[in-house]
Amino acid sequence: MGYFSFLDGTIVVIYLLLTIVAGLAVRKYVGKVEHYLVAGREMNLYLGIASLAATEFGIVTCMYTAQNGLKMGFAGAVPGILQTIAMLLVGITGFCIKPLRDAGVMTIPELFENRFGPSVRWLSGVVIVLGGLLNMGVFLRTGGEFLLITMGYNPAEFATTYRLEIMMSILLIIVALYTVLGGMLSVLVTDFLQFIVMSTSMLVVTILILTKIGWSEIVNAVETHLGPKGFNPFLMERGWEFVLFNLCLQFAVVLTWQAVIQRILSAKSTRVGKLIYVNTSFFFTARFLIPGLWGMAALAVLTPEGIGENTLYAMPKFLSIFLPSGLMGFLIAGMLAADMSTDSAYMLTWGGVIYNDILAPLRKKHPWSEKKGVLINRTIVALIGLFLLFYGLWYPLKGNLWDYLGVTGTIYLSSMSVLLIACCYWKRANNWGAMGAIIAGAVFPIGFLVLQQLPITAEWAQRVGPYKSGLASYAGSALAMIIGTFLKELFVKKSNTEFEGH
Amino acid sequence: MKLFWLIVLIFCIVWYATMTLYVGIRGFFDIFSMLQSIKENNPNNRISV
Repeated sequence: MGYFSFLDGTIVVIYLLLTIVAGLAVRKYVGKVEHYLVAGREMNLYLGIASLAATEFGIVTCMYTAQNGLKMGFAGAVPGILQTIAMLLVGITGFCIKPLRDAGVMTIPELFENRFGPSVRWLSGVVIVLGGLLNMGVFLRTGGEFLLITMGYNPAEFATTYRLEIMMSILLIIVALYTVLGGMLSVLVTDFLQFIVMSTSMLVVTILILTKIGWSEIVNAVETHLGPKGFNPFLMERGWEFVLFNLCLQFAVVLTWQAVIQRILSAKSTRVGKLIYVNTSFFFTARFLIPGLWGMAALAVLTPEGIGENTLYAMPKFLSIFLPSGLMGFLIAGMLAADMSTDSAYMLTWGGVIYNDILAPLRKKHPWSEKKGVLINRTIVALIGLFLLFYGLWYPLKGNLWDYLGVTGTIYLSSMSVLLIACCYWKRANNWGAMGAIIAGAVFPIGFLVLQQLPITAEWAQRVGPYKSGLASYAGSALAMIIGTFLKELFVKKSNTEFEGH
Repeated sequence: MKLFWLIVLIFCIVWYATMTLYVGIRGFFDIFSMLQSIKENNPNNRISV
């Protein structure tokens, strides 16, 4: 029986102190907005790999991928393999990321302005921030739940004590402190430290699970509980839809998820950016498969009563009884590292879009000085921290978390990926098409969620399912781009002809 | 399919361990070269907060 000991606590405190010192030490190098948002574009390959991997693995990722492992077996790791394929292809070919990095922009909407005008840039910024912040709003509570359950606390106590809220508030203050002051430079340095701690702890725990429980035991558990569909996603209910939707989703994430793209934009050169993608691509399989294996190990070890009604808690419950003292502290430090790197990078990412694409375009005639720009960025990051504290932690979220994450992500991923592809490779694409794509991309996922909640349409929405609505969002967005573009060509050409006739 | 997943898992662990070690060493030097470049390019723009 593990449970959190004094030794574990000491390991966690040492790790936290090291992170704070490292994060604060580099704040003096921030002199310009470019340093604050994209580290002066001086990030090299290995630091980029560490930062991308650390940013894209938070506790919330660990929880859902483990839940995938528990409920879907090995088939739950398929989105990770698809993301590896997407990242590898984009990294090798430079599809979209090359023109994006070559343009020297700090955010994706900034690129859109050159092609589609300032309104599309502004609207893209709003959609990205809305989707991103709402998505991120649930990270903190989920992270707190994982940490406390792994430390041996009963989930039933969460509603009656403020332990979770206090612990995660302190963590958020630490993260906000170094992110506000050091921006991307602090994020990169702490990401590096966090990558080492997080990766080592994940590997050690995985090897311990394989040696103590064994591969055969885990495979038998998947076979007994899930049958052949636990190994082959196409045998699952709506298996093809699941694979197809995840293929679109993972390509969109690789192309337009601002936290991922910011690593390309911070890279020293386009070549370094492409190499970061190629070399980090396989991490995304590990990102799904390793915590997925922990979920499957929980399936093998825990009884149905032990797993309980909320399958999300099964993996941390399993770890709380499986890990020995010392290793428990190491894992908690590793998962804190994962969560802190994600929170800091995401705060900076969405803050950067608010500054660069929503506020700064309004001050084009009287732009802010570099010093004031840095100050405004710091204020925005601090305000995002406050938002997370109250919305994500102290405000109890209603409804299904997974649907919530899926909807908020797809709202912007579908339209932004269509806009980016059209912006880079379709010369005829124009602002009518871009506006149409943004609206169509948001209508389908939001519409699905609304129809799911209405009693009269709930059954129909259930039959359609989340994957079809997600796929419709990508198809609808692409179609709206094409139709909007042709409509503008038709109307503008017609009005120009009439004008010339007069 | 079981063999497929076993191969993917083994490759995952070996790749991840190698990457952690390699990136852990090379990334350390990347941090110093990044800070050095920023310092050299902007000697007068440093803000103390």
